[in-house]
Amino acid sequence: MKIIAVGGGKGGTGKTVLAVNLAYGLAEKGRRVLLVDLDVDNPCTYTFLDIKLRMIKEVYTYKPKILEEKCTLCGECVKYCPVHALVLIPERKLLFFPTLCESCLNCMVVCPEKAILEDKTVIGWIKQGSMGSIDLIVGEIKPGERKTDEVISETLNYALENADSYDLLILDVPPGTGRGVYEALKHADLVIAVTEPTRLGLNDLRKFYKLLNVVKKESVVVINKYGLKKGVYGELEALIEKLKVRVFEIPYDKHLVEAYISGKIVLEVFPESPSAKAIKEIVDELAIVQA
Amino acid sequence: MSFEVVIASGKGGTGKTFISSNLSYFLYTIGVEAIAVDADVEAPDLLLALGGVKEVLWREEFKGQTIEINYDTCVKCGACIKACRFNALKMEDIGPVVDYALCEGFGTCMLVCPTASISFKPVKRGELYAAKSKSEVLVVTGDLDVGEKNSGLLVYNLKKRAREYNAEVLVVDAAPGIGCPVISSLAGANLLIVVVEPSPQSVKGASRLLKLAEKLKIESLAVLNKYDLNPSFAEKIEQNLKCEIVGEIGYDEKVVESYTSMTPLLKMYPKARISKNLVGIFRKIRERLSI
Repeated sequence: MKIIAVGGGKGGTGKTVLAVNLAYGLAEKGRRVLLVDLDVDNPCTYTFLDIKLRMIKEVYTYKPKILEEKCTLCGECVKYCPVHALVLIPERKLLFFPTLCESCLNCMVVCPEKAILEDKTVIGWIKQGSMGSIDLIVGEIKPGERKTDEVISETLNYALENADSYDLLILDVPPGTGRGVYEALKHADLVIAVTEPTRLGLNDLRKFYKLLNVVKKESVVVINKYGLKKGVYGELEALIEKLKVRVFEIPYDKHLVEAYISGKIVLEVFPESPSAKAIKEIVDELAIVQA
Repeated sequence: MSFEVVIASGKGGTGKTFISSNLSYFLYTIGVEAIAVDADVEAPDLLLALGGVKEVLWREEFKGQTIEINYDTCVKCGACIKACRFNALKMEDIGPVVDYALCEGFGTCMLVCPTASISFKPVKRGELYAAKSKSEVLVVTGDLDVGEKNSGLLVYNLKKRAREYNAEVLVVDAAPGIGCPVISSLAGANLLIVVVEPSPQSVKGASRLLKLAEKLKIESLAVLNKYDLNPSFAEKIEQNLKCEIVGEIGYDEKVVESYTSMTPLLKMYPKARISKNLVGIFRKIRERLSI
């Protein structure tokens, strides 16, 4: 089993579109593919697939439970809460702000009255479904919750625990270069860095490669929207040359845009279009890597 | 106190930085004192979009903390391992060993250690700085080190520093998603501008973001970007989005060009149709700023 992570730093470069199309193309070639949507803030893979997702499990984090009848309003917990999620109104009330809580439970540890218990709260969900020979696992954060990285890690762990019967895992990695992205890349055999020929795409790709240097993974660059007018082609090529990585180009193609905005897979609906042909080249390459 | 307007989107690549850079430049040109804050600390691009650095005004480290164990006094009781909610400690021959990637630095372990063998240790996690950009707009920006966490705290610090200027307006360019850094961007904000493009993926992200804004009780307006990529879908959004749409912007390659030459579109092509359209939208937004 091989793991391919599709990331790139910048949002909206086409990571999800590519991940879904790669899953589709590799499944067409007879590979057993598990697609894992780790963009838990806004998971979008399933908008391209005719899949009904079912709930697998809830993702939890710790929260304190305050027993008011035992609380003496001594304020110890307030002193040790590192994020000011607890506020004391002297001699009247202890206030808890769950949205600020970081789940460390320092409060529980320091409470001399044992008036604080360990409780749990739902911060997200892991869902699953399939379409033909593509299986899909999706992580999703509950709006208002902040522990994106934890939902990513739990989703990833669940996928890895259930990966035995697959030839390939394709990870749809969220934008950015933070901890959650790092966790996802750490497991990959190959990282696909998706960018676009714009100044912002170039800048974010540069930072993404700083992260790749830390995780030390093999990678290729995919320049999506290639041919977009007035882009930063020279600078992008210079960077890629310096990085000494293989590069694939997906042309800016109205077929891809049309498939995208209607939630369809371009390999399926416009298999002969320029963008589909370019994606097929990447599929062929991955099929070789996997074998 | 500054009026805080946050540009966010749920989904990446819809045009947050485009709106943020041009809105802050517009405010500058009409004599409103505005500071642009780049709250996408994992992939910061706002300063580039505003022309890059003309002069750095200050620069400081973004510090977090982790812990250090004194093995001379440690009795290997394992209390710290049990207390840590982030599974950051593991018992090895030498004693408990910290996984710095998992350690949040809240010091719960310190609170339970019976021999006081654990102490805090500061670590650099990124930096924040302010610069006068080449388009004259003052930018407060951050850069989280790759693979790091606590992006929300860095955003909190950035906003705190930006508020010290007492400018009339803070224009905050948020990260994609709805997680920790976006919540930090929205905390204390007066107005949210949601940037939507006519695709199901973007509408999904926008809806999740609007749910969050509702929870935080922040007034929202939407800008429909690249609406002509899918006019019929754009019409549907206008009818169904649970948010007032303040304007529509058509796709224009001048946007890519303006990034390539690191000049805000409004400065580069002040007379272009898209610029006039933008100014019209910004005037409407300005009315809401009550300045």
